Amino acid sequence: MRYLTVGRPESQRRDLVLAVILAFFSLFLSGLSLESRLAITEVLRSSILAPFIGAQNMFVRSSDLSEQVAALTTEREALAARVLEGADLALENQQLRAITGLPDRRTGEFAVGEVIPGAPEAGVSHSFLFRTRNEVVPVTPAGISSPEGIVGVLRTAHGGSGLGEFWTHPDFRVGVRTPTGSATGILRSFLAAGEETMMLLEGIPFQTDIPAGTLLVTSGIGGVHPPGVPVGFVVEEADSRSGWSHSFLVEPIVRPGQVRVGLVWLVGSVLPSPDSSSD
Amino acid sequence: MDAERSTWVWSGFSIVLLLFLHFLFRPMFVSLPVAPNLLVGALLLATLRLRAGHAAFLGFGLGILEAAMALEGMGWYALALTVIGYVGARSRDLLFADARFYVFGYLFVGTWIAESVLLLLGTTPPGLIRLLAGGATDAFLTALVCGGAEAATASIAERQV
Repeated sequence: MRYLTVGRPESQRRDLVLAVILAFFSLFLSGLSLESRLAITEVLRSSILAPFIGAQNMFVRSSDLSEQVAALTTEREALAARVLEGADLALENQQLRAITGLPDRRTGEFAVGEVIPGAPEAGVSHSFLFRTRNEVVPVTPAGISSPEGIVGVLRTAHGGSGLGEFWTHPDFRVGVRTPTGSATGILRSFLAAGEETMMLLEGIPFQTDIPAGTLLVTSGIGGVHPPGVPVGFVVEEADSRSGWSHSFLVEPIVRPGQVRVGLVWLVGSVLPSPDSSSD
Repeated sequence: MDAERSTWVWSGFSIVLLLFLHFLFRPMFVSLPVAPNLLVGALLLATLRLRAGHAAFLGFGLGILEAAMALEGMGWYALALTVIGYVGARSRDLLFADARFYVFGYLFVGTWIAESVLLLLGTTPPGLIRLLAGGATDAFLTALVCGGAEAATASIAERQV
């Protein structure tokens, strides 16, 4: 069998020109805005790649269906208990606000959506595709969380779906505090010893100590994530210390691989009209 | 059917099959610590028969599809696979590619280089061990699977003639 097909010099020149044009076009694509790249991705995923994605989703759904049923049953029971506990609290909150003259409590609404992880790099997935079940268009960046805790941030949205980054992404930052408010800081992803992706709490004044096992929740500063969403547990003080502040290693509550369904926080977002949602 | 045409048909079939398997089982392949890279393997097999320009175009198209599946690296994947397609076809022209063992070596070295480039283009820079050991193992598996597919289709094509 022969593979050798040395082209004529003019053909080789044409091939080189074509390759250079394609290389420049690739660079042009990489420089496109996130919205444009999302649009191209969406077109490809809903056309040529649709049979593959459909088959993969079918396989995933069928393989862990029983696991999901068990998890959902447990979650439903826990939610039912919390709703019963919270019913009195909501009334009490309303009455107290009326007495003190405060406006109604507004925490914003959430929309449920599917989280489709991207390709893992070195065992960690950084990006995901988020697809809401109705045509909700969140104002980006918008926080994505699961009932357990913070998942990541939605960077761009287009027609009910968007591209986001898990908290493992090097650019991810979130403002956090202890439940009592005794300490606040900024949390980012951190590659700990043994290549394990953890979180690093930075900017804690050197005189403030946070005991191991303390829960950290979002502070709500920045308006991307709602306040009070669990993020992780403090493990120990990190080695790095800069000036008058020190850092803490944090064990995240949610790992990207565990999340299939997420909640996007809709503050100032465009909600579908009642007519379109009823279709 | 003449020998040339039969070889083309069967090679085309094996390349399409490898690409089909890559996109179908992609989540499984990327979750495993070591797995064959059927995308790069199929591209390298195609470069054995395509002209450099056509191989670059195929690499570009596959790069766009791979980025759409991975949800990141749009442009960079296309650039990397375009270069791999072009360089693969040109190196095939420069080196004498008539031996079966050459195909295995070509797939092994080509996949190792391609994997290293794709890892370096990622968001998280890979460790040296992942780059060397993981890349080499992936490349070996790719050469084994894609080289096997190439050998099988070549023998079928030869038998048909």
